[in-house]
Amino acid sequence: MQRKSRYLIAVDTGGTFTDLAVYDARTSKTFFGKTLTNYEDLVAGVIECLRDAGTDLSGARLLKHGTTHVINGFIQRTGARVALVTTVGFRDILEIARGSRPVPFDLGYRRAPPLVTRDLCFEVGERITCDGDVERPLDVTALERLIPELRRCGVESIAISFVNSYRNSTHERKAKEILQRLLPNLFVTTGSELSMEWGEYERTSTVAANAYVGHRMRSYIRDFEKKLRERDFSGSLYMMASNGGVMSGSQAIAHPVALLESGPVGGCIGTGAYASALKLDRLIAFDMGGTTAKCALVEHGRFDVQTTYYVGGYEHGFPIRAPVLDIVEVGAGGGSIGWLDSQGRLKLGPRSAGSEPGPICFGRGGTEPTITDASLVLGRIGSENFLNGRLALNRERAAHAIEQQLAAPLGYSGSAGVDQVAHGLLELAVVAMTAAIKEITIQRGRDVRDFALCAFGGGGPMFGAQLARELGIPTVIVPPNPGAFSSLGMLVANARRDFMRIFIQALSDESLTRAMGVVAEIEEEAREAARSEFDVSVLTFEREVELRYRGQKHTVRVRLPENPTAASMLAGFEAGYRSRYGRVHPELVAEMIALRVGALVPMPQPDLSQLSESKAYGETRPTRRRSVYFAEAGKRVDTPIFDRSALPVGFELNGPAIIEEYSATTVLGPPDRLLVGTLGELRITCARP
Amino acid sequence: MNVTQHNLCPRERSSSSPAATDPITLEIIKAQLVAIPNQIERNIERTAFSPLVYEYKDFAVGLVDPAGRLVAQSRGSLPIFVANALGTAVREGLSILGAENIHDGDVVISNSAAWMGQHLNNVIAYSPIRVEGGLIGFFAVLVHWVDIGGSVPGSCLSSSTVDVWQEGIQLPTLKLIERGMRRSEIFRLIETNTRFPHLLMGDIEAQLGGCEAGRTMMEAIIARYGVAAVREAISIIWRDSEASVETVLRRAPQGRYHASSILDNDGVRLDVQVPVDVDVEIRDGRLTVDFSRLSRQVVGPFNAGRNGGAIAAARIACKYLLAPSTPVNEGDFARLHVEVPEGTFLSAGRGAAIAQSGSMVPTVVDTIMLALGDAFPDRAAAAHHGIYGVHSFYGHNPRSGELFQHLDTVSGGWGATAAADGPGPFRSNGHGDVPDVPVEMQEVFYPYRLIAKRLRPDSGGPGRNRGGLGVEKVYAIAHPCKMIVAFDRTLCPPWGIAGGESGQPAGVEIVRANGEREALTKGERSLGVGDSVHVMSGGGGGYGPAYERKPDAVVNDVRLGYVSAEAAAERYGVVLDAGGAFNSSATEKRRAEMRAARRIGIAHEACDF
Repeated sequence: MQRKSRYLIAVDTGGTFTDLAVYDARTSKTFFGKTLTNYEDLVAGVIECLRDAGTDLSGARLLKHGTTHVINGFIQRTGARVALVTTVGFRDILEIARGSRPVPFDLGYRRAPPLVTRDLCFEVGERITCDGDVERPLDVTALERLIPELRRCGVESIAISFVNSYRNSTHERKAKEILQRLLPNLFVTTGSELSMEWGEYERTSTVAANAYVGHRMRSYIRDFEKKLRERDFSGSLYMMASNGGVMSGSQAIAHPVALLESGPVGGCIGTGAYASALKLDRLIAFDMGGTTAKCALVEHGRFDVQTTYYVGGYEHGFPIRAPVLDIVEVGAGGGSIGWLDSQGRLKLGPRSAGSEPGPICFGRGGTEPTITDASLVLGRIGSENFLNGRLALNRERAAHAIEQQLAAPLGYSGSAGVDQVAHGLLELAVVAMTAAIKEITIQRGRDVRDFALCAFGGGGPMFGAQLARELGIPTVIVPPNPGAFSSLGMLVANARRDFMRIFIQALSDESLTRAMGVVAEIEEEAREAARSEFDVSVLTFEREVELRYRGQKHTVRVRLPENPTAASMLAGFEAGYRSRYGRVHPELVAEMIALRVGALVPMPQPDLSQLSESKAYGETRPTRRRSVYFAEAGKRVDTPIFDRSALPVGFELNGPAIIEEYSATTVLGPPDRLLVGTLGELRITCARP
Repeated sequence: MNVTQHNLCPRERSSSSPAATDPITLEIIKAQLVAIPNQIERNIERTAFSPLVYEYKDFAVGLVDPAGRLVAQSRGSLPIFVANALGTAVREGLSILGAENIHDGDVVISNSAAWMGQHLNNVIAYSPIRVEGGLIGFFAVLVHWVDIGGSVPGSCLSSSTVDVWQEGIQLPTLKLIERGMRRSEIFRLIETNTRFPHLLMGDIEAQLGGCEAGRTMMEAIIARYGVAAVREAISIIWRDSEASVETVLRRAPQGRYHASSILDNDGVRLDVQVPVDVDVEIRDGRLTVDFSRLSRQVVGPFNAGRNGGAIAAARIACKYLLAPSTPVNEGDFARLHVEVPEGTFLSAGRGAAIAQSGSMVPTVVDTIMLALGDAFPDRAAAAHHGIYGVHSFYGHNPRSGELFQHLDTVSGGWGATAAADGPGPFRSNGHGDVPDVPVEMQEVFYPYRLIAKRLRPDSGGPGRNRGGLGVEKVYAIAHPCKMIVAFDRTLCPPWGIAGGESGQPAGVEIVRANGEREALTKGERSLGVGDSVHVMSGGGGGYGPAYERKPDAVVNDVRLGYVSAEAAAERYGVVLDAGGAFNSSATEKRRAEMRAARRIGIAHEACDF
């Protein structure tokens, strides 16, 4: 029956909108959908989108799901009540951290408080030595004695982390087995399940974080799948992981921190796909949604993945050992609320109206003016065409609220005054978003002007050209269906599982032969896992060896070919080392430290050239005209409005103009120039400021 | 008020020509001048061979101008090195060699006691940056070399040397690389004089690699944006920093301020205290730190030279109080003047023992900040634990059959402020982003185990806002080895302010296999199998009278185990019943007694200053 199912579905649930992409394997066509996120029933939004696309869940072969739940759980501190169980002597490990102050001169410096308070940190007798020997057996009686206390404290999740468990995890596994048996409803997780690297603080922080989000994510994923099944879904559910691949629902339940940046990663995968197709070496993936704006770099088709991610930033946050894409996020989205502070100054965000109650113009109970309201008032978005007219926007109500709540108290009057204040709100958003783009480029040592900006999300295309102009970025790319672009990226994502084995041996032809034997074992294990997780056994593998000079801590990863030789591996190591550090040391011993195998389950994928409705010929006249306020002009301008789906490939246009489509609106400023590219993408050439 | 300004760092006085470079380019150059040292910092971490460098991060990376003035320093560089360590080495080189004799492709190293005034392990390497024949500056990397000879493994770790020649070899401006060619005789000299050639020679390669890669990256951005634009960006960096410091100083109450504290002893004459008297003056947008009344130099190794001691301490305090949030550069110190006679323990003369050159600095910095508490009441903090707390182990490692040595320092509580409880545990104010070496890594490398690493209840100074807690570490010795400790501030524990009380001092206790105990603060001991060592760091001082602390906060401290029920009653006057419930009437009674005692002056600081 799986063979009959023809649809591949990707669903990205954001704070405000749920985006959906559906690929029909029979026709090779892709459809998109977008609805307001329904927190009561997330699956209802999916069904609604599918109905728009003329299908339902019964025809689905698989569904990939990305969510911002995990990162939001940390940021809003809405996770579980966690208990930490450590080796005796180490209950304060999270609070002591590593004793450093990453902000060197701030007398008031402090870290974000640990996810587990000290009264919920417990010790049990046990000790593994650094060689992996059991020095002191696990004190099972002491562990069992904790049970009443854990119950009394209302603990929902338990994190177990023992010193040296990276060498021998039996005590952690045994403790988990006991606690899980006695407390079957709790979410129990261990450090060694998540990371087999040394460094007790980072591993403990990782497992505490996993416990913190694990309790809720388990219910979330189970509930989501149950609702899908109730609606005749018979395919497989996959969750989008922060490493750029998808994982099975059961794997995600055990390892929820892997979903940390589950939402934004889709847009980066999509940007990478377009970067390759359009042969653009350097792109900034810029995603503006309802709640936040996010940016990441895509260089040579790839985005940067960090192996240790600091939730809340390196300076104040806590580490998680999991592969996560490198991303900068600011609280500026379409739902960000404009307000006056106690001194009567205009401020924006970080509060967002989200989907409930949403911006005022949605007419769903919102009372505070947002970026979307200001954009509507200024004519940058139209009132009839939002979500294909499914949500009519109330311009008068938005203008009235801006006038009453912001313009009048600030001393502005009349419609010109409302325009000025609405424009001020947009300027505040631009300041926040340019700062984020500078952080991901300039502060990473890159010149922002060497990049093109790929603008997507519901708000990205509206601000892309203006941001580019501020930063001196010459080109903006708006892909087709920008509002559902993250879900398209998920559709393109393969399933990926990463495996790692410690393998410490000096590099030689003999040791490489042994290494290949271990790699073969890992691959068999991966096939086994793929059979149970993805029901496939044909995989492709990315094999890498971590090499270093003996005595160093950090490594350089080198690709492992089918028939490696010590000489070719050494050459690869030296090339990587030289490109990073500018030199090599032939006199030192190069040794292998770890073998890594990325197992990829290829999935059928849409063809990018089929995604655009743009054809060789089409309608090139504006569908209508509207009065739109442009900062560049400092006033309202009578502006032509185009329907994107009608514009032919090769069409060129000078600003000002507005290009409307189902999921987003692209704003072309008076000095900008537009070209419809070969994949239907909008290419905006921005004038120098 | 119209006052003549004395700028230590010159401004570009080309006022007739408007700024030549557009603001976005200037911003990019400024960001890259900081981003490059930050990237090289990561490179060094990733290519180093000793945990002291790749985990503990005892190094600094920066760019100085042709006169040795600091343009940018990496984020993780330790505060103790903002004392112009990088620039001082360059100035020594300029005075010995002259700029014209520091050639393209050279890497010069120095650790000379006379110029640097810091323990000899701190070796600076720098390389000239030239574009189109013009000298733009030097890219400099300081690394704490793991061993450079001297009387004990680790070189700078003894608490009882009496001259600098017992502390290692000096490398007073030597070219390690000349026009791109390695000078093998210098490498040989170094390799012969260290106990850990594999670790050190590897770390030196990381240091050289950082120097050369930093220089190349700097040359690339200068070539891209032009010499004039880069110079303009540098002068703007300095000008902005100087202006913001000046603004803070002009707003502060003008006047002369004083504070004093005490160091326990010099490690040799254990019964002689070392007073720390500082005078500070704020006037006309300038800050003067006057060390004229500081104790004379001492016999033991708790001295520093003028640059590594007096200037370092004054600059660190200046940065903490006046410009904490921006990257460090020379402009931060343009308004600072340091007055120090020759021969104090922070301006020690030729030959003075300086192995523990940084150890006194946190106390001196805290004392300067105590003096300025009245000038900046909202920035004032009670004292932090205040010591490096060096504790090092060395001996033969049975696993490798080789000599091992591990240098560690303590993390302890920081001081409370008017706004909040003291944070921590963190290292001293002379350290920045200096992380502990993981226990799991130490156990692989060294023949001991750590059987506990935990907070010390009741160590934070009581107050309306409580001081941060100290930490206790317990080592179980698995193979005979030696330990050297250099602790201090037991006679003058971390003080409270505004009526707050002091935190508990730091200490080390050895528990022998036969049960005998010995407490010590400075000295070297042999350890045997079955011995254990307790290393305890101090707590931060409190802010405001303890009996004014909200009872809820005290009850919560007891619940979390930061404060014992006994201390809650005794020190805070908050009485809990046996079951842990808050007893309001007993609390009122106890607090009334404490208020009365306070009025008649029973409670006073342990440390007289």
